[in-house]
Amino acid sequence: MLSKRVVKLAIPVAIGALALTACGDDGGGGGGDASGTVFKIAYQGPLSGDNVDLGINMENGVKLAIAEANESGDYDVTFEYLDADDRGEPGQATAAAQRAIDDEDVIAVVGPAFSGAAAVAAPLYGEAGMAALSPSATNPDLTQQGFPTFLRGVPNDAEQGAAIATFFAEQGVEKAMVIDDLDDYSIGLANVAQQGMEEAGIEVVRESVPSDTVDHSGIARTAVTSGADGLVYTGYYSQAGPLAVKLSEAGFDGIKLAGDGVKDPEFISLAPGGEAEEWYLSCPCRDLDADQEGRDFAERYEAEYNRAPGTYTPEAYDAAMMIIEAVAELGEAADRQSVYEAISVGTHDGVAKTLSFDENGEYAGSGIYIYRVENDTITALGDITEITG
Amino acid sequence: MTLFDFWDVLVLGVVLGSLYAVIAIGYTLVYGVLQLLNFAHSEVFMTGGFGGVIALTLVVPVAAPSLAQSAGYVILGICTGALLGATVAFFLEKVAYRPLRRRNAPRLVFLITAIGASFFLYNLAGKLFGRNAMPMPRMYENRTVFTIFDTTINITQLLIICSGVLMLLIVDHVVNRTKLGSGIRAVAQDPEVASLMGVNIDKVVSRTFILGGLMGGAAGFLFGTTNQVFYTMGFLPGITAFAAAVLGGIGNVRGAMLGGMTLGIVEAFTVDVFGDAWRYFGAFGALVLVLMIRPTGILGERVARTA
Repeated sequence: MLSKRVVKLAIPVAIGALALTACGDDGGGGGGDASGTVFKIAYQGPLSGDNVDLGINMENGVKLAIAEANESGDYDVTFEYLDADDRGEPGQATAAAQRAIDDEDVIAVVGPAFSGAAAVAAPLYGEAGMAALSPSATNPDLTQQGFPTFLRGVPNDAEQGAAIATFFAEQGVEKAMVIDDLDDYSIGLANVAQQGMEEAGIEVVRESVPSDTVDHSGIARTAVTSGADGLVYTGYYSQAGPLAVKLSEAGFDGIKLAGDGVKDPEFISLAPGGEAEEWYLSCPCRDLDADQEGRDFAERYEAEYNRAPGTYTPEAYDAAMMIIEAVAELGEAADRQSVYEAISVGTHDGVAKTLSFDENGEYAGSGIYIYRVENDTITALGDITEITG
Repeated sequence: MTLFDFWDVLVLGVVLGSLYAVIAIGYTLVYGVLQLLNFAHSEVFMTGGFGGVIALTLVVPVAAPSLAQSAGYVILGICTGALLGATVAFFLEKVAYRPLRRRNAPRLVFLITAIGASFFLYNLAGKLFGRNAMPMPRMYENRTVFTIFDTTINITQLLIICSGVLMLLIVDHVVNRTKLGSGIRAVAQDPEVASLMGVNIDKVVSRTFILGGLMGGAAGFLFGTTNQVFYTMGFLPGITAFAAAVLGGIGNVRGAMLGGMTLGIVEAFTVDVFGDAWRYFGAFGALVLVLMIRPTGILGERVARTA
């Protein structure tokens, strides 16, 4: 009796679910036979979930590039935007990538934004012959795995980790606690930082705090009792906020530094008692205030979105612009493969930096910047080489 | 581990445990009267957190509040959290469970409805309040109140422990000493006989949800004061509190309190000794061990009545 009723209920539910999935899959493919002058640029990153702010910063950069390209009238083709939300999670990355790949108009992808998701999605983009130019996935391994079309538009974590180690050595840290959040990006950055510090003679205590942890009192206590005089957190801002609060409550008084995943104003607002104050942040992202071009970009961005550009906004903008220019160059004959080939050997003079890639798709350039939270704002201190001399 | 470490970790564990215990009551009360695992209770908890944030954001706490002002903010937060939690729990029962009861739906359908309601509520909260975490507005300067055995206790910790214990005492009193309490116990024991004896089952069920909702909502606010408020915040504490209810013997109110406290303390020690990555191994390992020896839980005596 019971099972019959359940079956009665379950069948329509299952059919409904199947129908919905089917709709979602070919929803994008319908418009493929347009005049041929519309090219879509997709962005894959977290557009929902815990780290949505980082994703939206980049999405807006891509959208701005597309809007400016269309308005400029310089190009014979029209560009459109497609969102591919992966929540920043590897588990959602396949579906997000498939959404971009299945839409025949999509010519290239900005993203995947996060390293964990990039490792899952990059092979799919490779099969589709579509360039995946990530403005932010910094795990060093990504360019070592032979993904055919993956390009990285930022210095990787090997460089960032080394910069963190140099910075801590410079500050005279003797014993450091390195905390990761068990995510690919986080572990990668933490490993390099730990290795660099150990080579510099700093004793390192390694801890992991899973990214879904809701209570940070335990780790804060561990940090204090370990006797460390420096702490590196390599996760994202959504966890760094509460961690900062608990560290301050527990009375941790060493130097605190977090990686680029934390460089977001949201970090400061999640520590409302000023606990984020004096945290250092390392990032392969440049400060826009440094030159006129950057300030102009920030102005245009603010006029459009009523908020200041966030972390990786200019990098995402540059990536989209590089794709746009490559497509425009190729004209209506542009397809996924030819666009990838054009980008991979091309050079783009962007807002944040000059983009070009080596044979592995790795960013050919360098530059890690150190920031510090001062009076509730993230203030640029400069390039790591300038700071440590 | 030195003695100092022991007390230090114990305090962290008791803070966690008080929250788990208060949430666990919601699970165990509802299970008692309906034999229903109300998975949406974690969202009642989440609503309480948002209630507190909203109320305090509207009031805008002054920068350096006096003792009276601070106390006012805290009471306002607890009350709003509790009331909002109770409101959600009340409507949850009315909309999601009562129609099923009317139709004598099978147990499995209740369970699926509970999970569905839980998903619906937290996604709704995500839509309404955004996916980003919100910090609780500052109600007081969180300084150390006193030190025992070299372990400092700050205001937030004291607040959570004291209000947790107070709420547990209130629930214990309501369940064991009041008319509503005897109604709840009667329905839990045998709903048919209870209704023959003049107990209005619908009323008792509804009030049980309200009582659980008050506790869950207040716990949500307290959780927000020490951590943060976000749309999925109910999930892990909810699962843990549910496990606490099972550990103590589901359906048994004092068991839920004991189970919550035990899991909180085990969790804190696990984190301290093995690190955060092992957080839930300790607590849930303890759950499995206890259930292997005592399948009805620590204080559970009656074998669950067959439905």
